[in-house]
Amino acid sequence: MSEPLRHPLRRIVIAGGGTAGWMAAAALSRLCANGTTRVTLVESEEIGTVGVGEATIPPIKTFNAMLGIDEDAFLAATQGTFKLGIAFEGWHREGESYLHPFGAYGADIEGVKFHQIWLKLRAMGIPVPLADFNMAEVAARMGRFDRPTGDPRSALSQLDYAFHFDAGLYAAFLRRHAEARGVERLEGRIGQVLLHGETGFIEALRLEDGRLIDGDLFIDCTGFRALLIEGALGSGFEDWSHWLPCDRAVAVPCARAGGAAGPILPYTRSTARAAGWQWRIPLQHRTGNGMVYCSRYWSDDEASGTLLANLDAEPTGEPRLLRFTTGMRKQPWVKNCVALGLASGFMEPLESTSIHLVQIGISKLLALLPDRSFPAHERAEYNRLTAIQWAQIRDFLILHYKQNARGDAAFWQECAAMPVPETLERKIALFAGTGRLFRYDDELFTDANWTAVMTGQGIIPQAHDPLADALDGAALRDMTARMADAFRRTARAMPFHADFIARHCAA
Amino acid sequence: MAAFGSGAFGALPRSGPAERVAISGGGLCGWLAACLLARHLPHLRIVVHPASADEETRPDRSLGVPLAAEVLLPGDLEHIAAAGLRGGDLIRHCRGSFMLGTALTGWRAAGGPAFVPFGEIGAPLGPVPFHQIVAAARARGHDVNMANYALGALCAQTGRFAPPRSDDASVLSTLSFGLAVESDALRRLLRDDALAHGVQHGEAVADPASLCAAADLVIDARGAPEAWSENGGEQGGEDWSALMPFDRALVAKRAEPGTPPPPPPPYAHLSALAEGWQGFVPLAGAMTETLVFAAAAPPAEVTGALPEAHRLAPGRSAAAWQGAIVRMGAAAQQHDPVAGLQLHLALADVVRLIALFPANADCAVEAAEYNRQWRERSDCAFDYTVLRLARNGAKGAVWDRLRAAALPHRTAYRHDLYAANGRIALHDGEVFETPGWVMQFEALGIRPRRPDALAMTVPDMAITAHFEAIRKAMLAGVAKLPPHGAVLAEVCA
Ligand SMILES: Cc1cc2nc3c(=O)[nH]c(=O)nc-3n(C[C@H](O)[C@H](O)[C@H](O)COP(=O)(O)OP(=O)(O)OC[C@H]3O[C@@H](n4cnc5c(N)ncnc54)[C@H](O)[C@@H]3O)c2cc1C
Repeated sequence: MSEPLRHPLRRIVIAGGGTAGWMAAAALSRLCANGTTRVTLVESEEIGTVGVGEATIPPIKTFNAMLGIDEDAFLAATQGTFKLGIAFEGWHREGESYLHPFGAYGADIEGVKFHQIWLKLRAMGIPVPLADFNMAEVAARMGRFDRPTGDPRSALSQLDYAFHFDAGLYAAFLRRHAEARGVERLEGRIGQVLLHGETGFIEALRLEDGRLIDGDLFIDCTGFRALLIEGALGSGFEDWSHWLPCDRAVAVPCARAGGAAGPILPYTRSTARAAGWQWRIPLQHRTGNGMVYCSRYWSDDEASGTLLANLDAEPTGEPRLLRFTTGMRKQPWVKNCVALGLASGFMEPLESTSIHLVQIGISKLLALLPDRSFPAHERAEYNRLTAIQWAQIRDFLILHYKQNARGDAAFWQECAAMPVPETLERKIALFAGTGRLFRYDDELFTDANWTAVMTGQGIIPQAHDPLADALDGAALRDMTARMADAFRRTARAMPFHADFIARHCAA
Repeated sequence: MAAFGSGAFGALPRSGPAERVAISGGGLCGWLAACLLARHLPHLRIVVHPASADEETRPDRSLGVPLAAEVLLPGDLEHIAAAGLRGGDLIRHCRGSFMLGTALTGWRAAGGPAFVPFGEIGAPLGPVPFHQIVAAARARGHDVNMANYALGALCAQTGRFAPPRSDDASVLSTLSFGLAVESDALRRLLRDDALAHGVQHGEAVADPASLCAAADLVIDARGAPEAWSENGGEQGGEDWSALMPFDRALVAKRAEPGTPPPPPPPYAHLSALAEGWQGFVPLAGAMTETLVFAAAAPPAEVTGALPEAHRLAPGRSAAAWQGAIVRMGAAAQQHDPVAGLQLHLALADVVRLIALFPANADCAVEAAEYNRQWRERSDCAFDYTVLRLARNGAKGAVWDRLRAAALPHRTAYRHDLYAANGRIALHDGEVFETPGWVMQFEALGIRPRRPDALAMTVPDMAITAHFEAIRKAMLAGVAKLPPHGAVLAEVCA
């Protein structure tokens, strides 16, 4: 009784050629092989892209693998560097800092999670730093990097990593990949979105020069403009700025500190400032910098002044201002249009999650790819999963703001006093009591991520899990001492990050 | 205070971890909780109180229907092992028999019996899941039996099985298996183990609330209440009889004839009858049988046995953990046992309590989280059970009525999404992952109306080659395995 694909998609139109548009094009190019589906991307050089978005998280390696991308070639083409985590400076209190590294902490012992063992040792009066038990963190602090091995007995197998890259070069890299596989690119400005009179489905895009681009499925990657999903289809926006009050950013590149021979730190840095925070992303040829801030507390001049006063080297361009509202499209998929990237909503780059959201949007779309009958089920499932994934990241970001003890500035006091979503409140309460963490619905962030930020933001559980009581304290002390030693020795044997890049993937 | 407790390193704060645990009900559920708690949390002082002085002589309803055999799912065995109990002991003492899945007869309108195996089916082709490849092949006119690509099903067909060795890198390493055990023997095994780990017998107590005075935490493991709506006076209990209409169960166990008896088949069998269903779970040397039906319309052949039938009252309470009392197993929820999840759900309760065991006298945070997770697991088991009962192709008036019944939104959503395009909507708290759901839908005769677009981009030849490669590797793997009976005999020797 199955109805064979009577209406396979004939043409998929991607509107916009920023990171989101070209990621979608590269991934969907595999459909060109079926002989029926064409993939067309329209972009406007005149409008340009947002030009930021240069730090990623580890799952991007899965995306590269899906596309069959060679990692060294990709890094060389994008002036890319390796990222082992994010250093948060002054987020809990001025003068304090912590690193949120990738990968797990230590090894679980007899089914008891490692951070519980750490808590038990603390209770025994042995305050070992949790940081000593994460391979990425130990390496990051020494400025070293190496790729993990597959040998599970080696401490190096615990290491996980992501990348920093030049956003413009990344889009260009993906463009070459997509075009080589049959994606067609059109240059032009979209002037109008034409809807079907009865169904309200998008029928075509009219470019300002009059050309008509018709299609079956439209992917809105037009950035903050959200021309299709909002402009034409009125998806609606769920505003989260009462939880994440920053609404502006100013970005400026600067030279690589120390010149071409200078060290390259293998992590992103995020520094809390009076009404927002400053990022620093080290690339091979330059350093990306920016300030994310709240316009109710800071003028644009105050923000860019603070940014420019806190660079590692001379700026190499003019500061660029960006405005945004944090939140998501109520329905990221409406009728025959799916929004990806900034068109689907925005969460600040505190944990570098936007490109990841594009990536998982694409994999959901591939798994739920409709035919021309556009059954409601695919849409409903896509929207259901998207809402869950966004809310989980949202909660994680809110945690950074909520748990601050910076009494210094009104902005931070407001954040510390705000009510948070019930889902996050529950997580905090469970962790604050006994350090327990539960991962929901294939959540992106693992126990290690939550542990890093919860403890970094000053939440030290009152007690450890009673399960850890069954383990012998003296044995644990010795075992963990050996573990920390293994991490330290392994890190010392790694090359410095800049040397590793020079050897493997120099631009 | 046990020797390894943190107390050895300094005084505990006054509001220290809950230490005195009283368990009400000495059935399988109660001793399961006692045994696992004692092994994981040696500092606890645990006392098990029978619910009545003659409890030992009554049917054990602590998991729901007092089935003669219960099944541990593949994931359950990991929890059993994590507690330090050995699978070999379960096999030796509980007439254990490996389980690779369930054969279903009469559940789909067309086609013969179906097999719902544990574990994976086939292998994905690039980014396309195996079941979508099958749908694409079918759309192109090929006749594909999905169970032919499930290792568990092949083993079940041939009666060959051995637990994979950890160093086995072949296709056999993906073999996923559960274990059937004799319920009462398991209860005794857990009881003896618990007693050996310091758990104590207490006096019979009818009302668990009366245990609160002498315990920090009370576990109610007495089985299902008379009615869910007024469970101990609580509000908000749910009665599920509309979608799980069978309210009687007859259970039996008979020894298999012959010396030695024939080896048990490594799977359960479930038949749909016009008035209900009948299940068979094999044990070493015995076959257990369950017949489930409605008292109002029993199958003709059982009318004489009606008085012996056990009551089945599907439903659940509003919250499992209230104040200092945690209801576990059937005391918190009861499903129609058609999906074989009674022991699994009780074990999940125990594992969850261990993961959330309060470190402090104030356990409101833990209780809220426990209830949330309990409810999610309960919802998922409900959906799986209800879809088996209400979206099948079985023949009979009761099934017609069930098929006509409206489903709750989320249950209907799962069905409708799969029926439309073969996607499985997964939620928190699933008992089964995608393959388990797919194989259940297959067994019920539900197939996606439309194949996956991505799968349709795979050329026919690539699909055929993929199928052949999988089948070949699997058959080669299965041929290397010994007969199931030989492995059981070896474990018991
Ligand atoms: C300050 C800031 C920092 C960020 N940092 C990170 C980070 O560290 N990590 C991370 O993962 N993400 C980060 N992001 C998010 C990230 O930049 C975006 O998710 C990513 O770049 C994708 O953007 P986009 O392709 O959706 O939009 P854009 O880059 O804005 O692309 C929009 C495209 O649409 C085209 N277009 C628009 N209108 C028309 C029209 N009328 N006709 C034709 N074409 C049109 C444009 O020409 C352009 O090609 C950051 C975002 C901001 C604002």
